[in-house]
Amino acid sequence: MGGLTSYRLSDFILFSQTTYYRQFELYNQAIWPLHSVAILITLIVFYALWKKPAWAGRGVALCFVLSWLWVAWAFLYQRFNQIHVVADWYALGFILQAGLIAWHGVVKNHFTPLIDSRLRMKIGTGLLIIALVFYPFIAVMSGRSWMQFEMFALAPDPTALATIAIPLLYKASIALYIIPIIWIFLSAMTLFAM
Amino acid sequence: MKNQYTRSRRRFLQGLALTANGLIVPRFAQARTRAFITKPIPSTNAQIPVIGLGSSRTFNVGNDPLSLDNVAEVMHHFFKAGGKLIDSSPMYGSSQPAIGYGLKKLGRANDVFSAEKVWSWKSGMGPEQMEQSRQYWGIDSFDLMQVHNLVSWEDHLKTLFRMKQQGKIRYVGITTSHGRRHDELEGIMKTESLDFVQFSYNILDREVEEKLLPLAKQRGIAVIINRPFQRGDLIEKLKDKPLPSWAATIDCENWPQFLLKFVVSHPAVTCTIPATTQVEHVKENMMACFGPLPDAAMRIDMIEYVEKII
Repeated sequence: MGGLTSYRLSDFILFSQTTYYRQFELYNQAIWPLHSVAILITLIVFYALWKKPAWAGRGVALCFVLSWLWVAWAFLYQRFNQIHVVADWYALGFILQAGLIAWHGVVKNHFTPLIDSRLRMKIGTGLLIIALVFYPFIAVMSGRSWMQFEMFALAPDPTALATIAIPLLYKASIALYIIPIIWIFLSAMTLFAM
Repeated sequence: MKNQYTRSRRRFLQGLALTANGLIVPRFAQARTRAFITKPIPSTNAQIPVIGLGSSRTFNVGNDPLSLDNVAEVMHHFFKAGGKLIDSSPMYGSSQPAIGYGLKKLGRANDVFSAEKVWSWKSGMGPEQMEQSRQYWGIDSFDLMQVHNLVSWEDHLKTLFRMKQQGKIRYVGITTSHGRRHDELEGIMKTESLDFVQFSYNILDREVEEKLLPLAKQRGIAVIINRPFQRGDLIEKLKDKPLPSWAATIDCENWPQFLLKFVVSHPAVTCTIPATTQVEHVKENMMACFGPLPDAAMRIDMIEYVEKII
Protein backbone atom coordinates (compact mmCIF):
# COMPACT_ATOMS: atom_id res chain seq x y z
CA MET A 1 0.00 0.00 0.00
CA GLY A 2 3.08 2.21 0.05
CA GLY A 3 2.24 3.59 -3.37
CA LEU A 4 -1.00 5.03 -2.09
CA THR A 5 0.88 7.77 -0.26
CA SER A 6 2.25 9.06 -3.55
CA TYR A 7 -1.26 10.00 -4.70
CA ARG A 8 -2.73 13.44 -4.21
CA LEU A 9 -6.39 14.44 -4.10
CA SER A 10 -6.17 15.82 -7.64
CA ASP A 11 -5.07 12.36 -8.85
CA PHE A 12 -8.51 11.06 -7.96
CA ILE A 13 -10.35 13.96 -9.60
CA LEU A 14 -10.23 12.35 -12.99
CA PHE A 15 -13.13 14.18 -14.57
CA SER A 16 -13.54 17.63 -16.00
CA GLN A 17 -15.67 20.42 -14.56
CA THR A 18 -18.00 20.07 -17.56
CA THR A 19 -18.49 16.36 -16.89
CA TYR A 20 -19.02 16.98 -13.16
CA TYR A 21 -21.81 19.52 -13.62
CA ARG A 22 -23.28 17.51 -16.50
CA GLN A 23 -23.89 14.71 -13.95
CA PHE A 24 -26.33 17.01 -12.12
CA GLU A 25 -28.10 17.84 -15.38
CA LEU A 26 -28.52 14.16 -16.30
CA TYR A 27 -29.51 13.32 -12.72
CA ASN A 28 -32.14 16.05 -12.59
CA GLN A 29 -33.56 14.86 -15.90
CA ALA A 30 -33.60 11.25 -14.73
CA ILE A 31 -35.36 11.80 -11.40
CA TRP A 32 -37.92 14.37 -12.53
CA PRO A 33 -40.55 14.95 -10.98
CA LEU A 34 -39.08 13.84 -7.64
CA HIS A 35 -38.07 17.46 -7.09
CA SER A 36 -41.60 18.08 -5.84
CA VAL A 37 -40.91 15.60 -3.01
CA ALA A 38 -37.73 17.52 -2.16
CA ILE A 39 -39.75 20.74 -2.05
CA LEU A 40 -42.28 19.04 0.24
CA ILE A 41 -39.45 17.91 2.57
CA THR A 42 -38.08 21.47 2.58
CA LEU A 43 -41.52 22.85 3.53
CA ILE A 44 -41.90 20.26 6.31
CA VAL A 45 -38.51 21.24 7.75
CA PHE A 46 -39.36 24.95 7.71
CA TYR A 47 -42.86 24.32 9.17
CA ALA A 48 -41.41 22.19 11.99
CA LEU A 49 -38.85 24.87 12.83
CA TRP A 50 -41.39 27.68 12.72
CA LYS A 51 -44.42 26.14 14.44
CA LYS A 52 -42.52 23.69 16.64
CA PRO A 53 -45.21 20.98 16.71
CA ALA A 54 -44.75 18.00 19.06
CA TRP A 55 -43.40 15.86 16.24
CA ALA A 56 -40.87 18.50 15.11
CA GLY A 57 -37.67 16.81 16.35
CA ARG A 58 -38.47 13.36 15.00
CA GLY A 59 -40.06 14.80 11.86
CA VAL A 60 -37.03 16.93 10.93
CA ALA A 61 -34.68 14.04 11.74
CA LEU A 62 -36.68 11.72 9.48
CA CYS A 63 -36.56 14.26 6.65
CA PHE A 64 -32.77 14.37 6.93
CA VAL A 65 -32.44 10.59 7.19
CA LEU A 66 -34.41 10.14 3.97
CA SER A 67 -32.39 12.87 2.26
CA TRP A 68 -28.98 11.38 3.15
CA LEU A 69 -30.09 7.89 2.12
CA TRP A 70 -31.49 9.11 -1.18
CA VAL A 71 -28.37 11.10 -2.05
CA ALA A 72 -26.18 8.10 -1.14
CA TRP A 73 -28.10 5.75 -3.40
CA ALA A 74 -29.43 7.83 -6.27
CA PHE A 75 -26.66 10.37 -6.77
CA LEU A 76 -23.42 9.08 -5.27
CA TYR A 77 -23.77 5.37 -6.01
CA GLN A 78 -25.86 5.39 -9.18
CA ARG A 79 -24.57 8.55 -10.86
CA PHE A 80 -21.34 9.94 -9.40
CA ASN A 81 -19.80 6.47 -9.15
CA GLN A 82 -19.63 6.36 -12.95
CA ILE A 83 -16.96 9.05 -13.06
CA HIS A 84 -15.42 8.99 -9.57
CA VAL A 85 -13.47 5.95 -8.40
CA VAL A 86 -14.19 6.53 -4.71
CA ALA A 87 -17.85 7.63 -4.96
CA ASP A 88 -19.04 4.30 -3.56
CA TRP A 89 -17.08 5.07 -0.38
CA TYR A 90 -18.69 8.49 -0.26
CA ALA A 91 -22.07 6.75 -0.50
CA LEU A 92 -21.17 4.58 2.49
CA GLY A 93 -20.33 7.73 4.45
CA PHE A 94 -23.71 9.21 3.61
CA ILE A 95 -25.47 6.02 4.77
CA LEU A 96 -23.51 6.19 8.03
CA GLN A 97 -24.62 9.80 8.50
CA ALA A 98 -28.24 8.78 7.87
CA GLY A 99 -27.80 6.13 10.57
CA LEU A 100 -26.41 8.69 13.03
CA ILE A 101 -29.30 11.08 12.46
CA ALA A 102 -31.80 8.22 12.72
CA TRP A 103 -30.27 7.09 16.03
CA HIS A 104 -30.08 10.53 17.64
CA GLY A 105 -33.14 12.16 16.10
CA VAL A 106 -35.66 9.41 15.43
CA VAL A 107 -34.87 6.58 17.86
CA LYS A 108 -33.64 8.65 20.82
CA ASN A 109 -35.74 11.72 19.96
CA HIS A 110 -32.86 13.96 21.01
CA PHE A 111 -33.68 16.82 18.66
CA THR A 112 -35.01 19.29 21.24
CA PRO A 113 -35.46 22.84 19.92
CA LEU A 114 -33.08 25.42 21.34
CA ILE A 115 -34.76 28.54 22.62
CA ASP A 116 -31.99 30.02 24.75
CA SER A 117 -29.62 31.25 22.04
CA ARG A 118 -30.98 33.68 19.48
CA LEU A 119 -27.57 33.92 17.80
CA ARG A 120 -27.38 30.17 17.20
CA MET A 121 -30.96 30.23 15.96
CA LYS A 122 -30.12 33.01 13.50
CA ILE A 123 -26.97 31.30 12.19
CA GLY A 124 -28.77 27.96 11.90
CA THR A 125 -31.75 29.47 10.12
CA GLY A 126 -29.42 31.39 7.81
CA LEU A 127 -27.54 28.21 6.88
CA LEU A 128 -30.83 26.40 6.26
CA ILE A 129 -32.10 29.17 4.00
CA ILE A 130 -28.86 29.10 1.99
CA ALA A 131 -28.97 25.30 1.66
CA LEU A 132 -32.67 24.87 1.05
CA VAL A 133 -33.66 28.01 -0.85
CA PHE A 134 -30.57 29.72 -2.28
CA TYR A 135 -28.46 26.70 -3.34
CA PRO A 136 -30.50 25.61 -6.39
CA PHE A 137 -29.93 29.01 -8.00
CA ILE A 138 -26.11 28.83 -7.84
CA ALA A 139 -25.93 26.99 -11.18
CA VAL A 140 -27.73 29.75 -13.07
CA MET A 141 -25.95 32.51 -11.15
CA SER A 142 -22.58 31.03 -12.11
CA GLY A 143 -23.51 30.88 -15.79
CA ARG A 144 -24.26 27.17 -16.02
CA SER A 145 -27.38 25.55 -17.41
CA TRP A 146 -30.30 25.91 -15.00
CA MET A 147 -30.85 22.15 -15.29
CA GLN A 148 -27.58 21.63 -13.40
CA PHE A 149 -29.15 22.91 -10.18
CA GLU A 150 -28.35 21.20 -6.88
CA MET A 151 -31.22 20.83 -4.46
CA PHE A 152 -31.48 19.88 -0.81
CA ALA A 153 -32.49 16.22 -0.29
CA LEU A 154 -31.36 15.39 -3.83
CA ALA A 155 -27.75 16.63 -4.11
CA PRO A 156 -24.92 16.13 -1.60
CA ASP A 157 -23.63 19.68 -1.03
CA PRO A 158 -26.88 21.43 0.01
CA THR A 159 -27.89 18.37 2.03
CA ALA A 160 -24.62 18.42 4.00
CA LEU A 161 -24.80 22.19 4.45
CA ALA A 162 -28.36 22.01 5.80
CA THR A 163 -27.33 19.25 8.20
CA ILE A 164 -24.73 21.51 9.79
CA ALA A 165 -27.62 23.77 10.80
CA ILE A 166 -29.24 21.01 12.88
CA PRO A 167 -26.96 21.14 15.93
CA LEU A 168 -27.36 24.93 15.83
CA LEU A 169 -31.15 24.73 15.98
CA TYR A 170 -31.54 21.64 18.16
CA LYS A 171 -29.83 20.15 21.18
CA ALA A 172 -28.21 17.47 19.05
CA SER A 173 -25.01 15.46 19.30
CA ILE A 174 -21.82 17.04 17.98
CA ALA A 175 -21.21 13.73 16.18
CA LEU A 176 -23.76 14.87 13.61
CA TYR A 177 -21.32 17.55 12.46
CA ILE A 178 -18.45 15.26 11.51
CA ILE A 179 -19.49 13.69 8.22
CA PRO A 180 -21.16 16.83 6.80
CA ILE A 181 -18.02 18.88 7.53
CA ILE A 182 -15.78 16.21 6.00
CA TRP A 183 -18.03 16.16 2.94
CA ILE A 184 -18.02 19.93 2.54
CA PHE A 185 -14.21 19.89 2.80
CA LEU A 186 -13.94 17.11 0.18
CA SER A 187 -16.41 18.82 -2.10
CA ALA A 188 -14.57 22.13 -1.84
CA MET A 189 -11.28 20.35 -2.63
CA THR A 190 -12.91 18.64 -5.60
CA LEU A 191 -14.20 21.93 -7.00
CA PHE A 192 -10.76 23.45 -6.45
CA ALA A 193 -8.88 20.55 -8.06
CA MET A 194 -11.10 20.32 -11.15
CA MET B 1 27.82 40.40 -23.42
CA LYS B 2 29.38 38.06 -20.95
CA ASN B 3 26.03 36.45 -20.13
CA GLN B 4 25.15 36.07 -23.77
CA TYR B 5 28.53 34.49 -24.47
CA THR B 6 28.20 32.15 -21.51
CA ARG B 7 24.71 31.10 -22.59
CA SER B 8 25.78 30.51 -26.19
CA ARG B 9 28.79 28.54 -25.07
CA ARG B 10 26.67 26.49 -22.68
CA ARG B 11 24.13 25.84 -25.41
CA PHE B 12 26.90 24.72 -27.78
CA LEU B 13 28.45 22.41 -25.20
CA GLN B 14 25.09 20.96 -24.17
CA GLY B 15 24.19 20.32 -27.80
CA LEU B 16 27.59 18.76 -28.42
CA ALA B 17 27.30 16.54 -25.36
CA LEU B 18 23.80 15.35 -26.24
CA THR B 19 24.80 14.68 -29.82
CA ALA B 20 27.90 12.78 -28.73
CA ASN B 21 25.76 10.64 -26.45
CA GLY B 22 23.46 9.83 -29.31
CA LEU B 23 20.54 11.47 -27.54
CA ILE B 24 19.86 14.10 -30.16
CA VAL B 25 19.82 13.45 -33.88
CA PRO B 26 21.54 16.33 -35.70
CA ARG B 27 19.16 18.54 -37.64
CA PHE B 28 20.81 17.81 -40.98
CA ALA B 29 20.06 14.15 -40.49
CA GLN B 30 16.34 14.78 -40.25
CA ALA B 31 14.31 14.98 -43.40
CA ARG B 32 12.69 18.37 -43.75
CA THR B 33 9.48 17.04 -45.20
CA ARG B 34 5.82 16.83 -44.28
CA ALA B 35 6.23 13.11 -43.81
CA PHE B 36 4.23 11.46 -41.06
CA ILE B 37 6.51 10.91 -38.08
CA THR B 38 6.67 7.48 -36.52
CA LYS B 39 9.23 5.91 -34.23
CA PRO B 40 10.20 2.28 -33.67
CA ILE B 41 9.35 0.26 -30.59
CA PRO B 42 12.89 -0.97 -29.81
CA SER B 43 11.91 -4.52 -28.81
CA THR B 44 10.19 -5.29 -32.14
CA ASN B 45 11.07 -2.39 -34.46
CA ALA B 46 7.35 -1.94 -35.16
CA GLN B 47 6.61 1.72 -35.93
CA ILE B 48 4.08 3.85 -34.07
CA PRO B 49 3.09 7.50 -34.61
CA VAL B 50 4.75 9.90 -32.20
CA ILE B 51 1.42 11.38 -31.11
CA GLY B 52 -1.01 9.13 -29.26
CA LEU B 53 -4.17 9.88 -27.34
CA GLY B 54 -4.55 9.94 -23.56
CA SER B 55 -7.90 9.45 -21.85
CA SER B 56 -7.35 10.57 -18.26
CA ARG B 57 -10.12 13.04 -17.26
CA THR B 58 -11.15 13.76 -20.83
CA PHE B 59 -12.90 10.47 -21.64
CA ASN B 60 -14.36 9.92 -18.18
CA VAL B 61 -17.88 11.03 -19.10
CA GLY B 62 -20.09 8.40 -17.49
CA ASN B 63 -23.03 7.25 -19.61
CA ASP B 64 -23.84 10.71 -20.96
CA PRO B 65 -24.85 10.04 -24.61
CA LEU B 66 -23.78 13.50 -25.84
CA SER B 67 -20.35 13.25 -24.24
CA LEU B 68 -19.87 9.67 -25.48
CA ASP B 69 -20.55 10.85 -29.03
CA ASN B 70 -18.05 13.64 -28.49
CA VAL B 71 -15.43 11.09 -27.37
CA ALA B 72 -16.13 9.09 -30.54
CA GLU B 73 -15.76 12.27 -32.62
CA VAL B 74 -12.38 13.03 -31.02
CA MET B 75 -11.29 9.44 -31.71
CA HIS B 76 -12.54 9.72 -35.31
CA HIS B 77 -10.30 12.72 -35.99
CA PHE B 78 -7.42 11.05 -34.18
CA PHE B 79 -7.62 7.97 -36.42
CA LYS B 80 -8.30 10.09 -39.51
CA ALA B 81 -5.02 11.95 -38.93
CA GLY B 82 -3.15 8.65 -38.67
CA GLY B 83 -3.20 8.16 -34.88
CA LYS B 84 -2.88 4.66 -33.45
CA LEU B 85 -2.03 4.49 -29.75
CA ILE B 86 -4.77 5.18 -27.19
CA ASP B 87 -3.89 4.92 -23.51
CA SER B 88 -6.23 4.33 -20.59
CA SER B 89 -6.46 2.87 -17.09
CA PRO B 90 -9.04 1.37 -14.73
CA MET B 91 -8.27 4.43 -12.58
CA TYR B 92 -9.80 6.75 -15.17
CA GLY B 93 -13.42 6.10 -14.20
CA SER B 94 -15.59 5.48 -17.26
CA SER B 95 -12.85 6.20 -19.81
CA GLN B 96 -12.53 2.54 -20.78
CA PRO B 97 -16.19 2.02 -21.72
CA ALA B 98 -16.10 5.41 -23.49
CA ILE B 99 -13.16 4.20 -25.62
CA GLY B 100 -15.04 0.96 -26.27
CA TYR B 101 -18.06 2.99 -27.38
CA GLY B 102 -15.89 5.01 -29.75
CA LEU B 103 -14.11 1.99 -31.21
CA LYS B 104 -17.40 0.20 -31.84
CA LYS B 105 -19.09 3.24 -33.34
CA LEU B 106 -16.13 3.93 -35.62
CA GLY B 107 -15.42 0.27 -36.43
CA ARG B 108 -11.78 0.81 -35.40
CA ALA B 109 -11.28 -2.03 -32.92
CA ASN B 110 -8.71 -3.62 -35.24
CA ASP B 111 -6.84 -0.40 -36.00
CA VAL B 112 -6.06 0.84 -32.52
CA PHE B 113 -2.80 0.27 -30.67
CA SER B 114 -4.36 -0.40 -27.28
CA ALA B 115 -2.33 0.67 -24.25
CA GLU B 116 -3.95 -0.27 -20.94
CA LYS B 117 -2.91 -0.53 -17.34
CA VAL B 118 -3.40 -2.81 -14.40
CA TRP B 119 -4.07 -0.86 -11.20
CA SER B 120 -4.72 -2.94 -8.16
CA TRP B 121 -2.99 -3.25 -4.80
CA LYS B 122 -4.16 -6.87 -4.67
CA SER B 123 -2.08 -8.60 -7.31
CA GLY B 124 -4.54 -11.48 -7.47
CA MET B 125 -7.15 -9.05 -8.79
CA GLY B 126 -4.97 -8.15 -11.79
CA PRO B 127 -6.16 -10.77 -14.31
CA GLU B 128 -9.81 -10.13 -13.50
CA GLN B 129 -9.33 -6.37 -13.84
CA MET B 130 -7.51 -6.74 -17.16
CA GLU B 131 -10.28 -8.96 -18.50
CA GLN B 132 -12.86 -6.37 -17.43
CA SER B 133 -10.81 -3.69 -19.21
CA ARG B 134 -10.67 -5.80 -22.37
CA GLN B 135 -14.43 -6.19 -22.36
CA TYR B 136 -14.87 -2.44 -21.91
CA TRP B 137 -12.64 -1.78 -24.92
CA GLY B 138 -14.39 -4.49 -26.96
CA ILE B 139 -11.14 -5.82 -28.43
CA ASP B 140 -9.64 -9.32 -28.64
CA SER B 141 -6.48 -8.47 -26.72
CA PHE B 142 -4.36 -5.52 -25.63
CA ASP B 143 -1.21 -4.52 -27.45
CA LEU B 144 0.42 -3.04 -24.37
CA MET B 145 -0.35 -3.69 -20.71
CA GLN B 146 1.38 -1.48 -18.15
CA VAL B 147 1.60 -1.57 -14.38
CA HIS B 148 -0.05 1.67 -13.32
CA ASN B 149 2.03 3.94 -11.09
CA LEU B 150 4.24 1.04 -9.93
CA VAL B 151 1.36 -0.34 -7.84
CA SER B 152 2.26 -3.89 -6.66
CA TRP B 153 4.64 -3.99 -9.61
CA GLU B 154 6.59 -7.10 -8.57
CA ASP B 155 3.56 -9.39 -8.77
CA HIS B 156 1.86 -7.64 -11.67
CA LEU B 157 5.00 -7.77 -13.83
CA LYS B 158 5.24 -11.54 -13.30
CA THR B 159 1.65 -11.87 -14.51
CA LEU B 160 2.26 -9.60 -17.49
CA PHE B 161 5.41 -11.40 -18.62
CA ARG B 162 3.48 -14.67 -18.39
CA MET B 163 0.65 -13.18 -20.46
CA LYS B 164 3.16 -11.96 -23.04
CA GLN B 165 4.65 -15.44 -23.27
CA GLN B 166 1.17 -16.86 -23.80
CA GLY B 167 0.50 -14.34 -26.58
CA LYS B 168 -2.25 -12.57 -24.66
CA ILE B 169 -0.49 -9.20 -24.87
CA ARG B 170 2.29 -7.97 -27.18
CA TYR B 171 4.18 -5.61 -24.89
CA VAL B 172 4.81 -5.13 -21.17
CA GLY B 173 5.29 -1.76 -19.56
CA ILE B 174 5.22 0.20 -16.33
CA THR B 175 4.16 3.77 -15.62
CA THR B 176 4.49 6.65 -13.25
CA SER B 177 3.57 10.32 -13.47
CA HIS B 178 4.15 13.71 -11.83
CA GLY B 179 7.82 12.80 -11.34
CA ARG B 180 6.97 10.25 -8.63
CA ARG B 181 9.21 7.36 -7.54
CA HIS B 182 11.83 7.80 -10.24
CA ASP B 183 14.54 6.05 -8.25
CA GLU B 184 12.40 2.93 -7.92
CA LEU B 185 11.46 3.10 -11.61
CA GLU B 186 15.13 3.37 -12.55
CA GLY B 187 15.85 0.20 -10.62
CA ILE B 188 13.02 -1.64 -12.38
CA MET B 189 14.19 -0.44 -15.80
CA LYS B 190 17.65 -1.78 -15.04
CA THR B 191 16.51 -5.22 -13.95
CA GLU B 192 13.32 -6.08 -15.84
CA SER B 193 12.90 -6.78 -19.56
CA LEU B 194 10.40 -4.04 -20.22
CA ASP B 195 9.11 -3.13 -23.68
CA PHE B 196 7.66 0.21 -22.59
CA VAL B 197 7.95 2.70 -19.79
CA GLN B 198 5.73 5.73 -19.25
CA PHE B 199 6.41 8.88 -17.24
CA SER B 200 5.88 12.66 -17.29
CA TYR B 201 8.04 14.98 -19.35
CA ASN B 202 7.51 18.42 -20.80
CA ILE B 203 9.44 21.54 -21.68
CA LEU B 204 9.52 22.69 -18.04
CA ASP B 205 9.68 19.35 -16.18
CA ARG B 206 12.84 17.81 -17.59
CA GLU B 207 14.19 15.77 -14.69
CA VAL B 208 13.87 12.54 -16.72
CA GLU B 209 16.50 13.81 -19.17
CA GLU B 210 19.12 13.12 -16.52
CA LYS B 211 18.67 9.40 -15.94
CA LEU B 212 15.44 7.79 -17.15
CA LEU B 213 15.51 8.81 -20.81
CA PRO B 214 19.18 7.87 -21.35
CA LEU B 215 18.56 4.60 -19.50
CA ALA B 216 15.54 3.80 -21.69
CA LYS B 217 17.64 4.46 -24.78
CA GLN B 218 20.44 2.28 -23.47
CA ARG B 219 18.12 -0.58 -22.46
CA GLY B 220 16.03 -0.45 -25.64
CA ILE B 221 12.79 0.46 -23.88
CA ALA B 222 10.11 2.43 -25.71
CA VAL B 223 9.05 5.60 -23.86
CA ILE B 224 5.51 6.99 -23.65
CA ILE B 225 5.34 10.51 -22.26
CA ASN B 226 2.32 11.64 -20.26
CA ARG B 227 1.45 15.22 -19.28
CA PRO B 228 3.23 16.93 -22.19
CA PHE B 229 1.15 20.04 -21.39
CA GLN B 230 1.36 19.74 -17.56
CA ARG B 231 -2.31 18.73 -17.65
CA GLY B 232 -3.18 21.89 -19.61
CA ASP B 233 -1.37 24.30 -17.29
CA LEU B 234 1.38 24.96 -19.84
CA ILE B 235 -1.12 25.84 -22.56
CA GLU B 236 -2.93 28.11 -20.12
CA LYS B 237 0.30 29.93 -19.28
CA LEU B 238 1.42 30.27 -22.88
CA LYS B 239 -1.81 30.84 -24.79
CA ASP B 240 -1.49 34.64 -24.87
CA LYS B 241 2.26 34.66 -25.52
CA PRO B 242 3.69 34.89 -29.04
CA LEU B 243 5.28 31.88 -30.67
CA PRO B 244 8.86 32.57 -31.72
CA SER B 245 9.18 33.29 -35.42
CA TRP B 246 11.57 30.36 -35.83
CA ALA B 247 8.82 27.94 -34.75
CA ALA B 248 7.69 28.07 -38.39
CA THR B 249 10.90 26.29 -39.42
CA ILE B 250 9.64 23.14 -37.65
CA ASP B 251 6.08 23.67 -38.93
CA CYS B 252 4.62 24.73 -35.59
CA GLU B 253 1.59 26.95 -35.93
CA ASN B 254 0.55 26.97 -32.27
CA TRP B 255 1.77 26.24 -28.76
CA PRO B 256 0.47 22.64 -28.51
CA GLN B 257 2.47 21.68 -31.61
CA PHE B 258 5.53 23.50 -30.26
CA LEU B 259 5.31 21.70 -26.92
CA LEU B 260 4.60 18.30 -28.46
CA LYS B 261 7.44 18.58 -30.95
CA PHE B 262 9.78 19.43 -28.10
CA VAL B 263 8.78 16.25 -26.27
CA VAL B 264 8.86 13.82 -29.19
CA SER B 265 12.11 15.21 -30.61
CA HIS B 266 14.03 13.68 -27.72
CA PRO B 267 15.56 10.58 -29.34
CA ALA B 268 14.66 8.36 -26.39
CA VAL B 269 10.96 9.32 -26.56
CA THR B 270 8.76 7.04 -28.64
CA CYS B 271 5.47 8.90 -28.36
CA THR B 272 3.40 11.18 -26.19
CA ILE B 273 -0.25 10.98 -25.22
CA PRO B 274 -1.97 14.38 -24.94
CA ALA B 275 -5.60 14.11 -23.86
CA THR B 276 -8.43 16.33 -25.03
CA THR B 277 -12.20 16.60 -25.28
CA GLN B 278 -12.02 18.98 -28.25
CA VAL B 279 -11.99 17.93 -31.89
CA GLU B 280 -10.05 21.07 -32.82
CA HIS B 281 -7.41 20.24 -30.24
CA VAL B 282 -6.91 16.67 -31.42
CA LYS B 283 -6.51 17.99 -34.97
CA GLU B 284 -3.91 20.51 -33.76
CA ASN B 285 -2.09 17.87 -31.74
CA MET B 286 -1.95 15.42 -34.62
CA MET B 287 -0.31 18.06 -36.83
CA ALA B 288 2.73 17.64 -34.59
CA CYS B 289 3.09 14.26 -36.31
CA PHE B 290 4.10 16.04 -39.50
CA GLY B 291 7.09 18.05 -40.65
CA PRO B 292 10.57 18.36 -39.20
CA LEU B 293 11.46 17.95 -35.55
CA PRO B 294 13.75 20.37 -33.73
CA ASP B 295 17.42 19.48 -33.44
CA ALA B 296 19.54 19.67 -30.29
CA ALA B 297 20.32 23.38 -30.65
CA MET B 298 16.72 24.29 -31.35
CA ARG B 299 15.52 22.28 -28.37
CA ILE B 300 17.72 24.42 -26.17
CA ASP B 301 16.34 27.56 -27.83
CA MET B 302 12.82 26.26 -27.17
CA ILE B 303 13.55 25.78 -23.48
CA GLU B 304 15.16 29.17 -23.12
CA TYR B 305 12.35 30.94 -24.96
CA VAL B 306 9.60 29.32 -22.88
CA GLU B 307 11.43 29.85 -19.59
CA LYS B 308 11.91 33.50 -20.50
CA ILE B 309 8.28 34.30 -21.33
CA ILE B 310 6.45 32.15 -18.81
